[in-house]
Amino acid sequence: MSTEIDFKSLWGREKASAPDVSEILAKANRLNYCSRRKIWMCNIVLSLTIIVLAMIWWHLHPRLITTKIGLTLMICAMVIFIITTNQLSPLLAKADMQTDTNTFLLQMIRIKHKQEFINKTITTIYFLMLCVGLGLYFIEYISRGNWVFQLCVYGITLTFLAINWFYINARSVRKQRKAINEIIVKLEEVNRQMGSGT
Amino acid sequence: MVFEEIYKHYWNKVYRICMGYVNDADLAKDMAQETFINIWKQLPNFRNESAVGTWIYRIAANNCLRQIERLSRMPKSDFPEHVEDVVGPDKEGQTKFLYKCIAELPETDRIIISLELEDVKQAEIAKITGLSESNVRVKIFRIKEKLTQKFKDYEH
Repeated sequence: MSTEIDFKSLWGREKASAPDVSEILAKANRLNYCSRRKIWMCNIVLSLTIIVLAMIWWHLHPRLITTKIGLTLMICAMVIFIITTNQLSPLLAKADMQTDTNTFLLQMIRIKHKQEFINKTITTIYFLMLCVGLGLYFIEYISRGNWVFQLCVYGITLTFLAINWFYINARSVRKQRKAINEIIVKLEEVNRQMGSGT
Repeated sequence: MVFEEIYKHYWNKVYRICMGYVNDADLAKDMAQETFINIWKQLPNFRNESAVGTWIYRIAANNCLRQIERLSRMPKSDFPEHVEDVVGPDKEGQTKFLYKCIAELPETDRIIISLELEDVKQAEIAKITGLSESNVRVKIFRIKEKLTQKFKDYEH
């Protein structure tokens, strides 16, 4: 085979001016700040909701056990969501960049499979706990009204939950799964390249 | 080793590896910057278990592969397009053509040939990629064969 073409010298001709090192460090800090801010925003909103639920419990003095169980379930759902987004997901998404390419690819495939499972499971658990909690919480207060009122409140709530579960949630889970699956397929394809000849 | 020294010494090397992977100068610069952000973050954990070059190239190669994850989030219209201009047979044209050919190879081959052209020893490439030395040798031979053939077709 011809070795006349000096690929190395052609390769070395490509150069780019290096940005100032302070620019790189500033970008690193900016990225850190952005990802921290995103997590904190989610934490603050959910924490405030938990506080509001706790205050309802404190001020309205619910008498029925169903109300207390309902509030507990809703608070638990949010706590689980906060723990997952703050602790579990970043931990799972952390790939060791210092390892070799082969191990890195296998690690990425494992991470993506876990992410898919966690996304699906946590979303389902969160939504079910929230729905059941809301349903139980309403029993005490709705039972004080007449049957038309009861029918209306339950009807509206159930419709709202059904739209969320069957349309919004199902669509977002499907979209997320599709995106993760595409990545997994591509990563597996690249991983197969490692074992095959060219 | 001080970060500034690493940055000065390895910027163009890392940039070229990224460029070989995507054949898009702006995207390659962004990827090189991301690689150095990772290097900066990981530097306190560097234990001298491998040569600093091997360590840097591992991070660069893995960062290139992370593009798989990022590109899937991009709308199709935002995908970087490879240079399709007709380029002349002068050195500049040949350089562009080389990067275009490399970016069209399968992902792992892009990384392997980029490291080879960056004068990284085959034993080091094996450590960076996790392949055996003999496998690396065979792959490099076959990739060079492919590139030579493409250059022959391009010149005629």
